[in-house]
Amino acid sequence: MECRDITLQLDDLLDGRLDALQRKSVQEHLGRCPDCLSLHEHAVAVRAALRELSPPAPPPHFVDQVLSRATRTVGSANPRWRPVLGMALAASLVLGVALGVFFATQPSVHAVSLTLDRPETVRLMFTSAKPLKAATLSLALPENVELVGYGGRRELSWETDLRKGGNLMQLPLIVRGATKDDLVANLSHGGSSKTFRLKIEVDNTGKDM
Amino acid sequence: MPPVSPFRRTRGATSQYRRGRPDALNFEDLLRPQVEYLYRLAWRFTGNVADAEDLVQDALIKLYPRTQELLEIERLRPWLARVLYHQYVDSVRQRARSPIVELVTDAEGEDNPLDALPATRDGPEEHAERSGQRERILTALRRLNPEQRAVVTMHDVEGYSLEELETMLETPLGTLKSRLHRARQRLRALLPMEPFSARERVKQ
Repeated sequence: MECRDITLQLDDLLDGRLDALQRKSVQEHLGRCPDCLSLHEHAVAVRAALRELSPPAPPPHFVDQVLSRATRTVGSANPRWRPVLGMALAASLVLGVALGVFFATQPSVHAVSLTLDRPETVRLMFTSAKPLKAATLSLALPENVELVGYGGRRELSWETDLRKGGNLMQLPLIVRGATKDDLVANLSHGGSSKTFRLKIEVDNTGKDM
Repeated sequence: MPPVSPFRRTRGATSQYRRGRPDALNFEDLLRPQVEYLYRLAWRFTGNVADAEDLVQDALIKLYPRTQELLEIERLRPWLARVLYHQYVDSVRQRARSPIVELVTDAEGEDNPLDALPATRDGPEEHAERSGQRERILTALRRLNPEQRAVVTMHDVEGYSLEELETMLETPLGTLKSRLHRARQRLRALLPMEPFSARERVKQ
């Protein structure tokens, strides 16, 4: 048996998919070929390392929260999004949004380019070193920018708990024409607040981002 | 959504779940024992906690309207694993199409958030070695495409056979084998031998 014949059989050996005769033949080859033996041992070690990679435990109340949100029997659970200022939250946004809050350091200017008249999801990433309870997030959309499911609504606000670590907010947006102002997101918590500005450019060439 | 036939509950099988009961009750009873499993699988797919949480949540939101269908599933866990797999692959594709903006802020009026970071209990070298190894593996997994990553996770870690995956993922056996082969090749290239063999020596 040559080395090139054995490559796929090494997978089968690893997966216990060889019959006794095939296994004996492959093992004989490994006995006299240090290169193939090394490949096999490496594959065994990588698989062992993958199996040792233990997932962290889910956060407290995670099971209750996700079940509750899925069945929309939100009550005692701790929803990640809650409408404030008397606004009814459209289901499409509730389902489409995953929010977390982030805190890091230096402020910077951001811009995205969106295709005219096509829904595109802008994802805002926040990283928080600690959880925040009952922060308020407000969005002000510039002229000609719509949040999918909200018609012409320009100002939106939520009260939300922010979790520790990376958090992603997904905003399905449609640009209807040229924009002058920025999209403004304001995050406030416990008397302090921070404003983010996002420049929205219109790409009318029809090209994907 | 995939068809359910390979997993359908056999006729006459008794169930604690009942038609006519509110869906929310059936759904919670059916899914509660599975959520932690789905979370672990989601973490192995995505490699991070936030994405794993979102993936499970999004999958459950999609599943809830199918509660009556879920009542018919005999082997729920592999069926749910398949739903999570599709959700994962879709989310990666969607993410690749959508722009991302990272917003960073100093929280005015807040304590320095870095103070909230937990202190490490390991010695610095021990911690660095352990987290270094973990991070190397996670980084290597991130370099696989989602299908490769999923087959490695479901086959090599979760222990589903290729034949089971053939049914679950509705993907031909040959495709799965070559996908697994390429994934292993890639991991081999990304994870040099030394850290593993050195570790083995230390254990002896």
